[in-house]
Amino acid sequence: MLDVLTENFDAFASGLWVTFRLVLASFLIALVLGTVVAALRVAPSRALQRLGAIYVEVFRNLPLLVLLFISFAGLRRAGIGIGPWVAGIASLGIYTSAYVAESLRSGVFAVSRGQREAGLSLGFTQLQTLRHIVLPQAFRTVIPPLGSITIAMIKNSAIVGASLLALPDLLKQARIVNSNTFQTTESFFWAAVGYMLLTVTVTVLFRSLESRYAVKR
Amino acid sequence: MNYLFSPDNWQWLWTDNNAGFLLEAFLINIEIAIVSMVLALIVALALALLSLSRATPVRLVAKGWVDVFRNLPLIFLILYLALSLPEWLREGWADNAPAFLPDALRGELVLAGIIGLVLYNSAVMAEIMRAGILSLDRGQREAASALGMTYRDQMRFVILPQGLRRMVPATVSQLITLNKDTTLVSIITIQEVVRTGRGLTQTAGNPFVGGGDIQAPILQVMIFVGLLFVVTNYALSRLSRRLEVRESRRAAGEGRVAVTGVEDLAVPATGGPSRS
Amino acid sequence: MHIRFGRLLLAALSILVLALGVAACGGDDEESADTGGGGTTTQEEQAGGGGGGAEEFPADSTMGKIQQAGEIKIGVKYDVPPFGFRNPRNDQIEGFDVDFGKAIADKLGVKPNLIEAISDNRIPFIQDGTVDLVLSTMTINAERAQEIGFTDPYFIAKGRILVPKDSDIQGIDDLAGRRVCTALGSTYEETLKQEAPEAELRLVDAYSECLENLQNGAVDAISTDDVILTGMIIQDDSLHLVGEELTTEPYGGGFKKDDTEFRDFLNGVLEEYKSDGRWQRSYDKWLGRYTGEEQSPPDMTLDEVLQEST
Repeated sequence: MLDVLTENFDAFASGLWVTFRLVLASFLIALVLGTVVAALRVAPSRALQRLGAIYVEVFRNLPLLVLLFISFAGLRRAGIGIGPWVAGIASLGIYTSAYVAESLRSGVFAVSRGQREAGLSLGFTQLQTLRHIVLPQAFRTVIPPLGSITIAMIKNSAIVGASLLALPDLLKQARIVNSNTFQTTESFFWAAVGYMLLTVTVTVLFRSLESRYAVKR
Repeated sequence: MNYLFSPDNWQWLWTDNNAGFLLEAFLINIEIAIVSMVLALIVALALALLSLSRATPVRLVAKGWVDVFRNLPLIFLILYLALSLPEWLREGWADNAPAFLPDALRGELVLAGIIGLVLYNSAVMAEIMRAGILSLDRGQREAASALGMTYRDQMRFVILPQGLRRMVPATVSQLITLNKDTTLVSIITIQEVVRTGRGLTQTAGNPFVGGGDIQAPILQVMIFVGLLFVVTNYALSRLSRRLEVRESRRAAGEGRVAVTGVEDLAVPATGGPSRS
Repeated sequence: MHIRFGRLLLAALSILVLALGVAACGGDDEESADTGGGGTTTQEEQAGGGGGGAEEFPADSTMGKIQQAGEIKIGVKYDVPPFGFRNPRNDQIEGFDVDFGKAIADKLGVKPNLIEAISDNRIPFIQDGTVDLVLSTMTINAERAQEIGFTDPYFIAKGRILVPKDSDIQGIDDLAGRRVCTALGSTYEETLKQEAPEAELRLVDAYSECLENLQNGAVDAISTDDVILTGMIIQDDSLHLVGEELTTEPYGGGFKKDDTEFRDFLNGVLEEYKSDGRWQRSYDKWLGRYTGEEQSPPDMTLDEVLQEST
């Protein structure tokens, strides 16, 4: 069991590193896009709200694997020379951003109306109220769900690796080690350990953020 | 843009029963989702009860199991099972699969897909169930025991029926995720909609394999497949929302919280700490 | 009145459910009877192939067990014309590998059950019994021979490189720094790491993914057996083969290790298949037509192949 790890350590480590980078980059994209979309959904304009709603409905109900085919093979065939890393990060990021947007939105609603109105009465514009009063509080409320969403993203990164994008992530390395050593359970066991390392780290991180910042109800 | 909307690239949709093949294959996904959901619910109930057990080792093992399977990628589980499922199980299924099932669901690897889906989703649902049961007002439990009910009776007549009922919206919402996850079995060569779509892009317009003249470009095929999912899942999400509203109304009336599911998240709907 | 109607409905529904249940069970019985009978029908239909009735094998041999099961499970490719692929016209799996598999099934007097085996799965499928035999463009080499048993080679393919016609890649040396695709679990993973260590390897599940990636420009080249590559050229004639023969890839049928009886049986079928012209006919139909090359059946034995590869 241990020798599978030691003899193939490079493979596992490089896979873990690829997964880590994939998740980190996608997380940042999801956060940014998710915030924008959440803002759309609480914007005063009906049209903008609808745009946000459509975005969320499409990307929450679309399977990630299908999105990967569209964003990589599909776009390339249409002449857009998107590479596998970009396609992978964009897909995972956009897919997750819909969930981030929804969480933020519930968070925004959790910020009481009184706060928003107080902001407006103090002379803030809608946008300023959003920026300085509502969103910061919304962010704090959404720390727990964001943690779950990040863990879901770590799991979804494996789908990116298993797709035709051919990125050498942790799951793919497990399969490569398996095809070299024919020891399926051992190869997958160590990859599982790798994934758990990531998810446990994220859980711990978010729990500590939660205890520092979360809004107590 | 031109490429996206050009009618030449969409012609495959009404040629040669191509759309029909895709719809049939989409049914396979739905069937896998339903079967997995039913099985997952049963296993989840068992897991949830075990994780609420008063016997500490049992509780710890159940919670450990749930934690492990919630944290592993589903595709990881499915691929592992596909490579390592024991022979007797595979053969047993291939030999005894009921005849009314479509061909795509009688192959040996189907079990790897379904077991993977069940293992994963039962762990997720077990967490949701546990939250649902725990969300019941303590007063209810105390009242039940004041009435002289045994623990088992409390569970059977008071706690479970109410706790489980709260879970219905979360279950429907998890079904949406499950629906999407069924596409993962295409990677272990089960002939569902994504795999059928890819096959279509290769064979359509290829005379060598008898595919006729009209090509089916992958962008358009996958957009169509994506639409199938978006429409179906959107309908499910509307259903879930309606159930959620009914449940919140009922719960709000009784002064409690409703349980919702948001992508594997088991958190009482009105915010609050998410200790698991 | 109201209550009675409800009861009536319930009764009707129960009868309906019961009837469906009985029909389903009855359907099952018919299915299995058919499978048993199907074996004999096939055998009678194939005059000449196995020489009339199929030889009965002892019940404890692999052949005997297969005969009892009424079918032989063969792992083949579903997406690699012309060796194993699904013909959409008749929804059948066809190809050069498939023809050989059918000849083996005929000899046993059973139906062939063709299961998809992507490169990654071939050996696990043999080891855990998902399939009895693998005929899936599988190269014989010493490493694999430690895990499974092989027949004598039934085909010799050569490793080449596939690129678009307007590519500047002309051989293995040009692959340095370029993106090359091959299948996970194939022998080319190793070969490319050794022969083209500067190349960026992209590993995928199935060659159809490699073709998609080459066609949309995500990789610069695909490297695998020339006949698999020829199958891709057939689908897309803007591609061509370059470079010298990288490797010689003798294809063998794979089965459970140490099953010498089964091995001898399979090699026997192979000999007949080669000598009575079926091999040549199958080659001309699936390969010669497209490669424009002539080939005669390989005459190496397994041991010769293994000696050469070490």
